[in-house]
Amino acid sequence: MKKYLLKRIVYLVIVFFFVSLMMYAIYNLIPSDPALVQMEPLRKSLKPDEWTRQYQELRQKLGLNDPLIVRYARWMGFARDVDGTFNGMLQGNFGYSISYKRNITEIVGVPMQNSIILNILSTVITLAITIPLGIYCAVHARKPVDSAIQAFTVVGYSLPTFLIAILFIYIFAVLLGWFPAGGAKTPGSTFTGAMEFFDRMHYLALPILVLVFTGLAGMTRTVRAAMMDTLSQDYIRTARAKGLKEKVVIYSHAWRNALLPVSTSIMGWMIGVFTGGSLVIENTFSLNGTGRLYWSALTTTDYELVLGMQMFYTLVSLIGVLLTDLSYTLVDPRVRIDK
Amino acid sequence: MDNSKKNGSSEKKEFFLTRWVRRLFFPNKEMDIYTEEQMQSPVRVVIRNFFSKPIAVTALIIFILIAIFVFVAPNFVTLDLGDQDSTLVYVSPGYSMLKYPKELEKNGVADIAVGNNYSVGADQLGNIYVWGKSKLTKVIDLSEIPEEVKNAKIVKVAAGADHVLALDDRGTVYAWGNNRLGQTRLPDELKANNRSHDVAIKEIYASNQFSVVVTEDGRAFTWGNDNLAQIEYDAERLDGHVVSAAVTNFTYVLLLDDGSVVNPCFTAKFTVQKIPEEAQSGVKAIVGTTNTVAATKEDGTLFVWGAPTKGENDIPTLTAPIKEVGGGRYHLTALLEDGSVVSWGGNRYKQAEVPADVGDVEKLFVGSFQNYAVDKDGNIRTWGLKGFLFGTDGLGRDVFARLVNGGKMTMTIGALSVVIEMIIGIILGGVAGYFGGVVDMLIMRIAEIVSSMPFIPFAMILSAVMGTRVSIEQRMYIIMVILGILSWPGLCRLVRAQMFAQREMEYVVAAKALGVKESKIIFSHIIPNVMSVCLVSITLAFGTSMLTEASLSYLGFGVPLPTPTWGNMLDNAKNSIVIQNYWWNWVFVGAIFGVACICINLIGDGLRDALDPKANGR
Repeated sequence: MKKYLLKRIVYLVIVFFFVSLMMYAIYNLIPSDPALVQMEPLRKSLKPDEWTRQYQELRQKLGLNDPLIVRYARWMGFARDVDGTFNGMLQGNFGYSISYKRNITEIVGVPMQNSIILNILSTVITLAITIPLGIYCAVHARKPVDSAIQAFTVVGYSLPTFLIAILFIYIFAVLLGWFPAGGAKTPGSTFTGAMEFFDRMHYLALPILVLVFTGLAGMTRTVRAAMMDTLSQDYIRTARAKGLKEKVVIYSHAWRNALLPVSTSIMGWMIGVFTGGSLVIENTFSLNGTGRLYWSALTTTDYELVLGMQMFYTLVSLIGVLLTDLSYTLVDPRVRIDK
Repeated sequence: MDNSKKNGSSEKKEFFLTRWVRRLFFPNKEMDIYTEEQMQSPVRVVIRNFFSKPIAVTALIIFILIAIFVFVAPNFVTLDLGDQDSTLVYVSPGYSMLKYPKELEKNGVADIAVGNNYSVGADQLGNIYVWGKSKLTKVIDLSEIPEEVKNAKIVKVAAGADHVLALDDRGTVYAWGNNRLGQTRLPDELKANNRSHDVAIKEIYASNQFSVVVTEDGRAFTWGNDNLAQIEYDAERLDGHVVSAAVTNFTYVLLLDDGSVVNPCFTAKFTVQKIPEEAQSGVKAIVGTTNTVAATKEDGTLFVWGAPTKGENDIPTLTAPIKEVGGGRYHLTALLEDGSVVSWGGNRYKQAEVPADVGDVEKLFVGSFQNYAVDKDGNIRTWGLKGFLFGTDGLGRDVFARLVNGGKMTMTIGALSVVIEMIIGIILGGVAGYFGGVVDMLIMRIAEIVSSMPFIPFAMILSAVMGTRVSIEQRMYIIMVILGILSWPGLCRLVRAQMFAQREMEYVVAAKALGVKESKIIFSHIIPNVMSVCLVSITLAFGTSMLTEASLSYLGFGVPLPTPTWGNMLDNAKNSIVIQNYWWNWVFVGAIFGVACICINLIGDGLRDALDPKANGR
């Protein structure tokens, strides 16, 4: 187990550096020249050849003439920066955001917190609904209730998140007026304590509802399929034949075996929500989360922030994959991964 | 075997269409497993299984219909990307703009005025009618005519952008509509209750948030939004001489009793206020369009000045002297002395195309994009913009045209990115599965790296970085390539797994023994055998690509505006004001996109069931 874990982590680190190198290379496709930005005001006051000389000097000083791999190593913190210190990602320097005029580490805290709250809440609610629902559907397969739920889930997982978001805004914010259509708290409010909490939940309700709805559809299908697969196994027939209670058969014999494929897709789904889903949701509901931060960084061409966020996203999904693999052993003791 | 031969011969006698329909919906009777094995190839079994599922078949038919619709309709519904008009913003769906009430025609037309997307008419009995898109906001509806107007005998009407003027037979003017910028705030002297009897109004004009009236004794009054429009009136200079006026979008000019046209304002901000030499004398009538003014001279000739944008000054050769001219937004229509009608100028909505059978016209009413002609028998003929099937969006663009053309774009991108995905996935998967070992290891690690990259953020940054310096068309291809490159690992894994099973089969061994080239074994012997399994994955990938493109466009990193796709059309509907008030901006495109996505998933599910040997019940 330890050996396997070590192997996976080494692999994860290699992939991470590979992806980050690729990202850094893509980022360098953008025509940006910090030396030119600094030198441009001096263009008129200096003679052309003097200016060119100083410009080249500055490029040298800033390390812009070095090969890509060297610059990458500096940015990552493997090599000494031009000022002779190690000052890269590994040292905690994620870069400087030009649109916020602050270090990236200072900016991402609050959005990250908001995104995590949003995702954890929607995940918990989704799982709380979807697992009993999926099991119910599998046990009552091809009965009217199951067919109705199946039809409903096809709609749910076919439609894009933003369409569901628009639809839900129309139904719950415009027609019924239950929830606000966007924002994070009542404008100008100075609630404290419980009131603040409820106000916040009131504003988060609709985004969570959309995320739950989209997650519900896909997850219910997965749980149902896994359960139906298990329920058709011979040992279930044996369990029933020897007169076990139906509850025991379903929850103890079948469900624990069905959990393996389910756990894989739960992790996959969570990663998808955290990266793609929250981008759309936070944009539609103007929530201050990582997705919106990333989006606004891209639209304002604040590429250092984009790069930092991208690293974060990559890390999240890589760790997600690792956790999926590890969850196999937790869920199913038969899976031996240390060989 | 005998049985099948009989079937075959009887099929030949059938009309081919009935046969197709029968085969499509009522597949052959169940065969027992031995006959079937003898008779049918696995592909045929799959196809038969698929067509025995009514839901999947319905989904397939609906999807094919949508696909045909979005690929055929753009040939008929052309899209001009530069097309936009501030007066056509958020027009609700429907063809009601030229639907005048029948009573108006029956009672005889006294006057018709055309505003933005609505029209007002008065009949000979003094009744007033409003039709077209008269509902401006949730609370303001121009068709809610005030009681006092209904009671009065209306002889003349004028329609502005969002307000209406009506003149009764005693020279009193009434105004209603949007009053936010003072459009209906009459000057005190003109108000019905304190108007002295010597101020009788003769002519009324309404335009973009302002109004002009001319009295019997040659004075003019203006009111409305003077920030937007220049509506000063030099009373000292002009009082007593004004005969009529011509209103353009942002200002007006006056015709005086000596036959000259003057700029009534103290300064001239707009080109129409610079009156040319020809208009200094001998002018009979004037009329305005958005940015130009046309003047008819005593001799029946016409000339246009101002800032023509759509050919308002390209006056065709006229066969007879001009009797009367009407001005729309970008077009002019003239009624000649012989009763024929000619029209020229902007023709985007066929407003300058006079129907061939319009003749013997007595009265002509023109405005915005509409024309009404009344002939000698009192029949009304109309031409111009009737309305929009699915309404218009926030820039006045036809939602239907964008829906159709956007669908073509979305589906093309979806299909081509799937092709790219297929090429990469099948080649790499085939090679990895066939050779195994180091090649397999290498390819699978690459696949893992690609699939571990977060999809939407990565596609966004690629699109943002690569898409900045290219044309819209190149950007479209870039999006396709990005989608293809990021989504191949799934298919690759599937092909690889299938290859593992197939490469030990006898036919592969036989091919190897015969010395067939390895590339040939992979791509012409094995791949065709695993294609049917990949079909599910490809179908679902098409749906996913469409969704991803839409999500990217929705976030602003897909195909850029003004090129429409379903995704960026829905991007416009992101705020709750549009969602609430202008439902046609998202309902239609959302519905067709949703149905297409659901259909693809249903087809994929149907195919999966059809391919699954367990699903056949044995």
